[in-house]
Amino acid sequence: MSRFKSLYFLLLFLTIILVFPETVNAQDTHRIGLCVPITGSGADAGKREVIGAQVAVNEINAKGGIGGTKLEMIFADSGSKPHDAVNAVRKLAGDDKVLAIVGPHYSGVAESTFPLGNRIGIVQVAVASSKPGVAAANRPFAFRNTLTEDKIAVAVAKAVKKRHNPKRIALVVDIKDAVARAIGTKVFPGVLKKEGLTVINEKKPVTFQTGDAQFTAQITKLKALNPDAVGLGALGPDALNIITEARRQGMKQPFFGTAPLIEGNMPEKGGNAVVGTIAGSIWSSQLKDARSVSFIKSYKKLAKTLHPGKFTAKPDYYPVNSYDAVYMIVDAIKSKGIKPGTSDLAKKRIAVKDHFAAMSSFNGIASDGFNKVGDGKKNVHVFEIKDQAWKLIE
Amino acid sequence: MLAQQLANGLLLGSTYALIALGLTLVLGVFDKLNIAHGDVFMFGAFAGVAAASFGAPLILAVIAGLVTSAAINVLVERSCFYPLRNAHFLAPMLSTIAFGILLQNVATQIWGSDPSRYPNIEAVSQYEVGGILLSSIHVIILVISFSVMLSVDIVIYRTKLGRALRATAIDPEVAGLLGVNTKNVVLVTFLVAGALAGIAGVLTAVVYSQITPLIGIRLGLIGMVAMVIGGLGNLRGAMIGGILIGLVQVLNDAYLDASYRDLIVFSLFFGFIVLKPAGLFPQPSGNRS
Repeated sequence: MSRFKSLYFLLLFLTIILVFPETVNAQDTHRIGLCVPITGSGADAGKREVIGAQVAVNEINAKGGIGGTKLEMIFADSGSKPHDAVNAVRKLAGDDKVLAIVGPHYSGVAESTFPLGNRIGIVQVAVASSKPGVAAANRPFAFRNTLTEDKIAVAVAKAVKKRHNPKRIALVVDIKDAVARAIGTKVFPGVLKKEGLTVINEKKPVTFQTGDAQFTAQITKLKALNPDAVGLGALGPDALNIITEARRQGMKQPFFGTAPLIEGNMPEKGGNAVVGTIAGSIWSSQLKDARSVSFIKSYKKLAKTLHPGKFTAKPDYYPVNSYDAVYMIVDAIKSKGIKPGTSDLAKKRIAVKDHFAAMSSFNGIASDGFNKVGDGKKNVHVFEIKDQAWKLIE
Repeated sequence: MLAQQLANGLLLGSTYALIALGLTLVLGVFDKLNIAHGDVFMFGAFAGVAAASFGAPLILAVIAGLVTSAAINVLVERSCFYPLRNAHFLAPMLSTIAFGILLQNVATQIWGSDPSRYPNIEAVSQYEVGGILLSSIHVIILVISFSVMLSVDIVIYRTKLGRALRATAIDPEVAGLLGVNTKNVVLVTFLVAGALAGIAGVLTAVVYSQITPLIGIRLGLIGMVAMVIGGLGNLRGAMIGGILIGLVQVLNDAYLDASYRDLIVFSLFFGFIVLKPAGLFPQPSGNRS
């Protein structure tokens, strides 16, 4: 063969392998992205979210995919940090050309990735972000399949009033974490007042920072206030340490909080110190409805091979949120008749966005669609710690 | 409340003092900073928690933490300081940053990113002395911390080993000529510094309950601040600096707001660096430890 012919065939071959796979692959799958942390401070919760989302993808593909086309989920680690998450969203949207993204995790991270998603024009469905106002500030592509803390706080306040009817409530607030701070300084004061409960240190709550190594000063100060009950704007691990130190210093008052308290295995790790603590959440593995039971079974099976470990063995509400989010995107694909592939991607992404904006109801395990500002609609369940577990308060 | 808060500050400051002491030992002998010291502390904490979760009593958990951190610190010396002993003076310190990040990631892989807790110590009694409430755990922590500090002080200033260490810190070449085995001195320095970090780590895990693979970053930084305030290279200064930082933090949380804590501590740090870089207890010139 002459040299020119060889060169010609080489160029043809290169063109085929560079261009054709893009066309072939684009026909093969519906492509969605998953952007949650598997490194950094949110790694354990993020790994559970990966498992939850993958359970949904496996179920859908086991039933033949969407109209016979496989659903493909591409993962990018958000690293628990805004900077890493922004890079991950850019990669998923730009390089991987996904239709929509499940994630991120954390309000602080969402506040960075949501504006980017708006500029690119791609829906992101956060699976953990309950600071009020984050989706509202980032219309129209930002959605959060979570319940904002104010709604959970109302249910918790009612339960606390019924159980203890405290005359004086003191608040302890994490001033570093976005969600915990909002709960302690904005959510609880208003909600408790509406329930007719008095907050004795609203203007000057007892404060600490996320991950503080010790709370002796804070508890000494709290004890001096002599409250009847203590409200926590805190994440689970910090709440556990706060309550433990309070018991060490002789305090017997009940503690309460919202969804972040349920992280961190407080019932198992807290012993007698945490009995009677009240918190609210949108889902718990104690729920006995058929879909929750089925999800738990599928989750536990997959968790043995995908990110196995003691921190991912059991599901909490995070993987439920990611599971439902995948099904929401699939619902959008089906309803809008979105064809697989990456052609007309911008139009397809807008179609997904329009579907989400109109999703005022949804039959998820723990998801009921979105409100007008893109925040999730869900039921609230209130729990109390008893017998080393969070028990549902009927 | 003030007396109680001062007691709280002493408790917190005593663990900071142990961290600062370890940093100062290495700085004093080598004139170099081990930035991975906080992560060595973290690993010791996790080793203690792991031992306790298998049922080990407190003393064995402390030993587990001490041994683990001492071993890791020797590894730091072998991999970050020894190979780069003739390189630019910044090279070993930069290397310890990378080593520290490695330790954080290894710890995350082993123990996860969720906080780990020291298993509950159930039999906790309360003691009240002059209106100050202390649990038996707090008393044990204070006794261990101050005993260790006193022991280090005695060894450094009243034993042959301490003299060898101080001689190496002043001038390693001359110390060698005078018969000091400087290689052994280096090994002992890193072993002891690591052991101090490990003890501090386990005590932190016992009293303050929450440890994560990232805890060393912050506490290592606090240790450096304590070291600067106390006087760079001064062991007694490091102990006092640590206790002072503990008191400042606790009094801030008690009477001001947690949001001011870092502002005050790092303003103090900056103030000392600019206005009194030798710290509260400056070393005489030419004498690093």
